[in-house]
Parts: sequence; C-alpha cells; structure tokens
Amino acid sequence: MSGHDSKYFSTTKKGEIPELKEELNSQYKDKRKDAVKKVIAAMTVGKDVSSLFTDVVNCMQTENLELKKLVYLYLINYAKSQPDLAILAVNTFVKDSQDPNPLIRALAVRTMGCIRVDKITEYLCDPLQRCLKDDDPYVRKTAAICVAKLYDINAELVEDRGFLESLKDLISDNNPMVVANAVAALAEIQENSTRPIFEITSHTLSKLLTALNECTEWGQVFILDALSRYKAADAREAENIVERVTPRLQHANCAVVLSAVKMILQQMELITSTDVVRNLCKKMAPPLVTLLSAEPEIQYVALRNINLIVQRRPTILAHEIKVFFCKYNDPIYVKMEKLEIMIKLASDRNIDQVLLEFKEYATEVDVDFVRKAVRAIGRCAIKLERAAERCISVLLELIKIKVNYVVQEAIIVIKDIFRRYPNTYESIIATLCESLDTLDEPEAKASMIWIIGEYAERIDNADELLESFLESFPEEPPQVQLQLLTATVKLFLKKPTEGPQQMIQVVLNNATVETDNPDLRDRAYIYWRLLSTDPEAAKDVVLAEKPVISDDSNQLDPSLLDELLANIATLSSVYHKPPDTFVTRVKPATQRTEDDEYPDGNETGYAESPANAADGGASPPTSSSSVPYGAARQPAPAPAAPAPVAPVPDLLGDLIGLDNNAIVPADQHATSSGPPLPILLPASTGQGLQISAQLARQDGQIFYSLQFENNSQITLDGFMIQFNKNSFGLAAAGSLQVPPLAPGASRRTLLPMVLFQNMSAGPPSSLLQVAVKNNQQPVWYFNDKILLHVFFTDDGRMERTSFLETWRSLPDSNEVLKEFPGIMVSSAEATLDRLAATNMFFIAKRKHANQDVFYFSAKIPRGIPFLIELTTVIGNPGVKCAIKTPNPEMAPLFFEAIETLLKA
Amino acid sequence: MGILFTRMFSSLFGNKEARILVLGLDNAGKTTILYRLQMGEVVSTIPTIGFNVETVQYNNIKFQVWDLGGQTSIRPYWRCYFPNTQAIIYVVDSSDTDRLVIAKEEFHAILEEEELKGAVVLIFANKQDLPGALDDAAVTEALELHKIKNRQWAIFKTSAIKGEGLFEGLDWLSNTLKSGSG
Repeated sequence: MSGHDSKYFSTTKKGEIPELKEELNSQYKDKRKDAVKKVIAAMTVGKDVSSLFTDVVNCMQTENLELKKLVYLYLINYAKSQPDLAILAVNTFVKDSQDPNPLIRALAVRTMGCIRVDKITEYLCDPLQRCLKDDDPYVRKTAAICVAKLYDINAELVEDRGFLESLKDLISDNNPMVVANAVAALAEIQENSTRPIFEITSHTLSKLLTALNECTEWGQVFILDALSRYKAADAREAENIVERVTPRLQHANCAVVLSAVKMILQQMELITSTDVVRNLCKKMAPPLVTLLSAEPEIQYVALRNINLIVQRRPTILAHEIKVFFCKYNDPIYVKMEKLEIMIKLASDRNIDQVLLEFKEYATEVDVDFVRKAVRAIGRCAIKLERAAERCISVLLELIKIKVNYVVQEAIIVIKDIFRRYPNTYESIIATLCESLDTLDEPEAKASMIWIIGEYAERIDNADELLESFLESFPEEPPQVQLQLLTATVKLFLKKPTEGPQQMIQVVLNNATVETDNPDLRDRAYIYWRLLSTDPEAAKDVVLAEKPVISDDSNQLDPSLLDELLANIATLSSVYHKPPDTFVTRVKPATQRTEDDEYPDGNETGYAESPANAADGGASPPTSSSSVPYGAARQPAPAPAAPAPVAPVPDLLGDLIGLDNNAIVPADQHATSSGPPLPILLPASTGQGLQISAQLARQDGQIFYSLQFENNSQITLDGFMIQFNKNSFGLAAAGSLQVPPLAPGASRRTLLPMVLFQNMSAGPPSSLLQVAVKNNQQPVWYFNDKILLHVFFTDDGRMERTSFLETWRSLPDSNEVLKEFPGIMVSSAEATLDRLAATNMFFIAKRKHANQDVFYFSAKIPRGIPFLIELTTVIGNPGVKCAIKTPNPEMAPLFFEAIETLLKA
Repeated sequence: MGILFTRMFSSLFGNKEARILVLGLDNAGKTTILYRLQMGEVVSTIPTIGFNVETVQYNNIKFQVWDLGGQTSIRPYWRCYFPNTQAIIYVVDSSDTDRLVIAKEEFHAILEEEELKGAVVLIFANKQDLPGALDDAAVTEALELHKIKNRQWAIFKTSAIKGEGLFEGLDWLSNTLKSGSG
C-alpha cells in the first residue's frame, strides 16, 4: 500500500460512541445530562453502549434526580455485562442510601437489588441493612423487596446477614405498606426455599390483620395470600380470622376478593359450627357473583376459580345458578365455563330452568357450544336421577330437529344414560335407530353400535343394522372397529342364528387377519378363543352385568382440589394444574448443615435399610463394561467423584454404589472404555505392549480389570496370565479372554478372581505379582498392589448393638490407630456414599467437641470383621482412623485402603 | 470598571473546572481530605468502593475533585479517570511506614501514564497528627520524589483531621494551574 492511501483509513468522523464519550465527560452539567439521555435512548433501541460504562457511572453522583435515575437505569441494564467495573458504582450507592432525600435512598436500594453482580452484592448489604431500619416507610418497604431480590442472588448472604430476621421485624412495622411488602418478600423467599422461613405466629397474625385494613389493595392481596397459608390453632381462632377478613369481600379489586375467598375457604376447613359455615357461604356468594359483571377476561378467571369453589362448597352458589346462564354475546370461552358450572350447580330444584337453558343453547350456531350443551343435558340426566326422564325427553326433542351434530352428541350421551339407568329408558332405542344413517363421527357411531349390541335382543333388526356397518369395517377408525367387534359378538351370543354366525366370521376374520391394529387383533383373538372353547363362558364374559356409572368425569381428585383451592387467584387455579407443573423454579441448593443430613435418628434408617446387595436380581446385572468402584486410585482421576452428591442412600449397597459411579458425568463414556486403569506395564518396557490393571469388586465378585494396548508393530495373540502366591491367595478363576490384538488395538477385559487359592506365608502383604505372556513376546512381570477394600463383602453391615458388643469383646491390643494429617473430609455425605459403595457400612455418628466421629463396619472374606472409627473435623484436614479387628496384622493393609478411599 | 473587569474575568475563569484526581493507597485519608476541602469539616468515612466526586471552589478556581477508592481491587480502574486531568493529589499516610514502598510504586506507576503527562502533582504527607508520622522530607525521600522529571510538583505536610496544610496545598495548586493555563 502506498503511503498516502492510509488516509482512507483515518477519518475525521469519530462515530457515535466516542462522541457520546466526549459529551459524557463534558464539564457542563447540561451537556452531560443530554449525553446520558442519548445513551439511554441508544440503549433502548438496542445499540450496545456498554463501552461507555465508566463514563456513565461517573455521572452518577449528581444532585439532579432525573440524571441519577437515568444512570441507575443504565446500570441495571449493563452492570451484568461489566461486572468488574460495576464496583465503581458501589460508593455512590452507599452514599445515595444515606441521602437526605428518601426518594433517593429508596431509589438506591431498589436499583441495588436489580444489579445482579456477585462481586458487589456483599458491599450492598450494609446500605440495605440501614435502609431496612430507615425512618421513612417508603425506604423500608423498598428495602423489604430488595431482600427478596438479594435472596434470589445469594440466599446464604441474606441468611448470614440476618436480613430474614429484619424482614420478620418489619411485619410488626407501624406502616401497613411496609408490612405488606415484608409479607410479599417473605412469601417469595419462602417459595424459593425448602426450609420453613415465613411462619405466621399468633403475634404476627394480629399485626397482619391490623395492617390488612389499612394497606393498599395489592398489599391486601399479599397479606391475604399469606393468611391463607396460616393454620389456625382451632375453630375459634379460624372464626376470628375470618371475621376480620370478611369485609375484604366487598372490595372493588377482584384480586382482593378472590384472595379473601381463598383465605376464608382455607380457614373454613377448621370451622366446625354449621351455622358459621352457612353464614360464610351466604356472605361469599354476592362478591363472587359481582365478579361476573366484569370484563369477559376477568369473568373467565372468576369462572375457573368458581369451578373449583363449587366443587368444594356447592352451597355457596346453589341459589345463584341464574348468573351462570349464558348471554348471547358472551365469548365462547366464558360460555363453556358457565356451562360447566351450571352442570355442577344443577339440582332437582332448578333442573327445569336449567334444561330450558340447555335446550336453547343446543339450537345456537356455535357447534362446540351446542355439543357441550347437549352433553350437559346428558350429564344432568346422569347426575339427577329424578330429572333423568325430563332430560331424555329434551334430548329426544333435540334429535328430532335432525341437526347432524346434535343427534350425534345426543346418542353419545344417551349411551351413558343407558349405562346409568339400566332397563329404564330402552324404549327410545327405536327413535335412535332412525338416525342411524346420519352418524358420521367415530364416537357417535361407536356409541350407537354399542347400543345395538347391548340391546340386540330388543332390536328386531339388530343384525341388519350391524351388517350395514360391517360393510365398511376395514375403513372404520379403531374405536368403531372395536365396538363393531364387541357388538357382533354380543349379537351372536344373544341370537346365535345363521345371520349373526356369518357376520361373526367376517368380523373375526377382518379383525385378526386383515388388521394391523394390535388392540383390535388381541380383542378379536380373545373372543375367538372364548367362542371356540366355551360359548357359555363367553356369555359370562361378554354379556356380564356392567357396573352402573356415575358422572364424575369433570370432578377433580380431592387432593388436587385441595391444592388448587390453596392456589385460588393464581394461574394455577385458572389452569386447574398445580403450580409445579408449569412453573420451573430454581431451588437454591439446600444448605443443610452436616448435622441436618445425619441427625441421630437417621442412623437407624441407615442401619435398618436392608443390606440385600447380594440379591443381585433386584437390580439389572451390571454389564462388564460398567465401572467397578475399585477405580479409586486411577492415576488420572476424572473430576473427583464426590462432586455430584448422589442422594441415593445405600439401600442396595454395592450395586447402587456402582450406579452412582456410573452417573458421574466423566464416567459416562464407560460403555466403551471406562476410566483409565493404572498402567502397570508401560509400553516402553513391554516392547509396545501396555498393560493397565486393577482389582475391582463388582456384583459381589472380585475381578481383575485389565486393559491391553498394542502399540507394537505386530499382532499379538495367545494372552495368558498367572498370579504369584500372595497373602490373600488371589488367583484367576478362569482363563484370560483376550482376542488377537492388531497393532494399535486395545482391549479391556474383566478376569474373575478367586481367593485363598495359592496363599503365601508370612505377614499379610499387599503385593500382587502378575505374569502375562503372549505368543509373540517374552513373559512380562509386573507388580500390583492389593487394596483391601476390594475384599469388603456385602454382608459386612453390623447392627449397632452387635457393633458395640464386638467392640467391647475385642481386647485393646486389637485396636490400631493411624492418623492421616493430609486428608480432608469436605462433605460427610459424599464420603459416606463413597464408603458405602465399597461395602464400608455406616453405623452411627456422634459429635465430640467440634469433631465428628463416624463408625463403620466392614468385613473381608473368611468373616474377618473390621470395626472402624473415623474422627475428623469436616472441612479441615486431618483424619484419625482407629480400627478394631481380630486380625490386627491386617491393619496396615486396611489403612492403605482407607487412605485411598478417603483421598478419592 | 476595574472591579467589574475582575468579576467578569473571574467568572469566566471560574466557569472552567479543573479536574483533579485524589489518589493514594487505601486508608490514606483521601475521602476525609475531599470533604474537609469541600465542607470544611471532618466526616466519618468508610472505605470508598468506587469514587466520590465533589466540586470545590477555591481561589476563584472550581476544582472538580475525584476521590478514587484506594483498595487494591479498585486501583486498576484509576486509569478510567486519567484523561483530561489537570492535577493529581497523591495522598500518603505518613504514619504507615510499612506501606510507603507500595505507595511509592503506585505513585511512580501513575507518573508513567501517558494520559497524565501534563498533570501537576501535589503530594500530601497526611496524618501528621499521628505519632510516628514521617515529615515531608522523609516522605519525599521515601517516595523518591527527586526522580520526578518534567513536571511541577510539591509536597505538603497535612492533617486532614486538624485541617492543617490542606489549603496551603490548594493554594499552590491553584497558583500553579493559573500560571500554567494563563
């Protein structure tokens, strides 16, 4: 590039950001303010102005409230993207939280809560603490909400700094707005915590009830919601609370009304006096009715909630059914909900009126609504025995107008009516049959066919009717095919004449040979077998008397209803679903203390859990590729195993332990290779053959896990293995299964091992000498180390009592002690899991001064028990291990093993 | 006429704010000095995590004084404030002899900054009220002030608590700035 072309790259135009930067640093206040406004404008249209962070923050210390608000707005938006620089704003926050102007104090504390940057949250605690005790209620109430926000960022910090207590103190604040916000904050914190944080006591109760009358409408909602979770001590207290709350039912705000209703419903569960309950029901009706005069959307919400309310307390609105009559201009979603409630409120007293309504609805134009109306008539018939006849006559009238979908819907519900009142209304079948040809929907067809089959003996031409359907059998949907099959069988059993006999053959043939539908085929084969072996039995089965049905299709399960009623006036009561089915909440990791995790009572739980690890059938057999636990001393350990705290208690001993291991992410590739084994014969020594191996325990058996890697230039085959005499008499239980290894190939195998085969004399030693040969190379020798824990058996669990007895019965000379100053137990749970996975069974735990003392038992083959006492301070280095065993000469080996286990 | 002219002159000049940074290690007394200068009284302070900025009017000069937090974690961000700075007030805790070495290193690092090339430097050997406080000569020695080249500088013994030496320093500063700019 020639020299003067460079001018094209330098421009006198600076671009927007440098210009803004300059203006932000202007010495004139007005210019700075304009600049910040420009920055905010750029920010809101999506331009990235985060690079101006320090310049904007430098404008933060100003007397000008407008400018300050703008800078705060900027901070909320960009602090997250500039977490390091955000610290520069801290001092200004601190200053502003002490500003003489309460608006600025509140603004500061509110903004602080919106800045989700870990590095600065701790600096914000002091200002927050001050603001919680501020003289100005506006500041206090803002600070209360800020605590909830901070809890979401750092729950531990909130708890450590005692903010929860401060919040609870605010419940007793003399300003109702502050009380309401404190309640809202506590309720939100409670929702995100697994521990009980916000519990209303009789003291706070009276505070809340007092504040309720004075605070804003939304504050009332928070307080009412909190009160509805309060469990009154007795009926009298419940009555008192309800009495104080009933005036809220008259509130103009729907949310207040619904929350009040929720709260009263909850407390009513405790009230025993029927008079009081009746009175309350009477009082709740008018406000609920009033909700239905609001906009359709609010009506819908009200109706969904009322739907729940009438399921629990039908009496409340028993006399108000008229308000649920649909208006012609109601939106369809309101109409549908109203219908649902009308069905629930229909009674012998009002059924005539209701039927008139339904009948009218059935002539409207909206198909879905009409269908639902027809269905509603049927459901009323099923619900109200005395009104059934009237309902049926309405249905027949509707059938006569011959509107296709009305007829079909009517037939569907009549089928249900027949089942509800057997042998009562069958006289109308003839009328139904007239409409046969018009049926084109599967459900209606299926219902009609069911009727024909069920009442074949009363329908003279039942066989003809069915036959007309049979022609199209292959094309019918499965629902209809199934009914046709059953109806034909019924017909045949009832009228075993020639016609039906032919039909049944056609149907069975169609339903077995010609169909792909397994349900249909199975049912057909069952019928076929029944009919061909024992027609009488077939009669008993197919024509068995059916149980009478009832209308509970739209009733919610009582426990679900309870949960939904507790969530009235929330989305949950609109969806009719429990909140956790559609809200995903990030629960903070439970910060239980170690003591909570293993309270003394839990020990029995541990001790009593069945040690049925030997019962391998209980869990799927672990494939040879899965990783045995012995991998504790792998040379390049994948991220230390205890990280994901597997909450699975050691119920299945070893097997679950294996599974735990398998879910450690780093081990997921275990299917192919598993974690690396220690290399015992490096390729450099083995002329290109590398052998890694380790003893492992799996499914209660001891294996020698081996990996052969052929890095040489030739294919190696004919592998054999031999073990030297050793202290435990370990020997191969079978031959080594290694196929010829091509150059570059590797192979992993598990060699089953037996004990006590070729014992060596002398004191116990962990040395295991191994020899491996193949057809191409000389014999390779290498040494391995036996880690005792591989031998720990599944039956090593001791009851507490027998543990104590054994401990006492062994002389003190059998106790051996060793300290591991470098080992630290950081999590008792993870360590216990790990130890349990190697059959070192947890017996009990006690606290001694600041130390935790754990007791374990383990057993090695030939029934040699080890009683183990581990003393440590969780989280601090240094573990003391004392063991008692009849074979103290094994102690060094044991210590080697425990050291490996604890280190892992 | 003469009075009017002076007033006009001073208002013209007074409009121009001199940008001054107050730097120094944590706990040197920067924030206390700032508010002593601004309000004339001693306020109780907490460690400044971030900055304080105040306008101080003295000798017809408006100083826009930036007091930056001195903690190790914040020192890296000092550089965000360097552009357009006319003067630096470097505050040293004269009684904290252990950290004078660090104070010296930070000080000379600042002087190396390109953006501060034209800034005059005023050093406050603060906390003279404390027993064992080094005097200005000793602080000059410790900070190796004689190494300063091509820059106007001065050192004053101060006690922010007692209010001693601060305005003398500011006098020097205003005179230096006036002569420099005028």
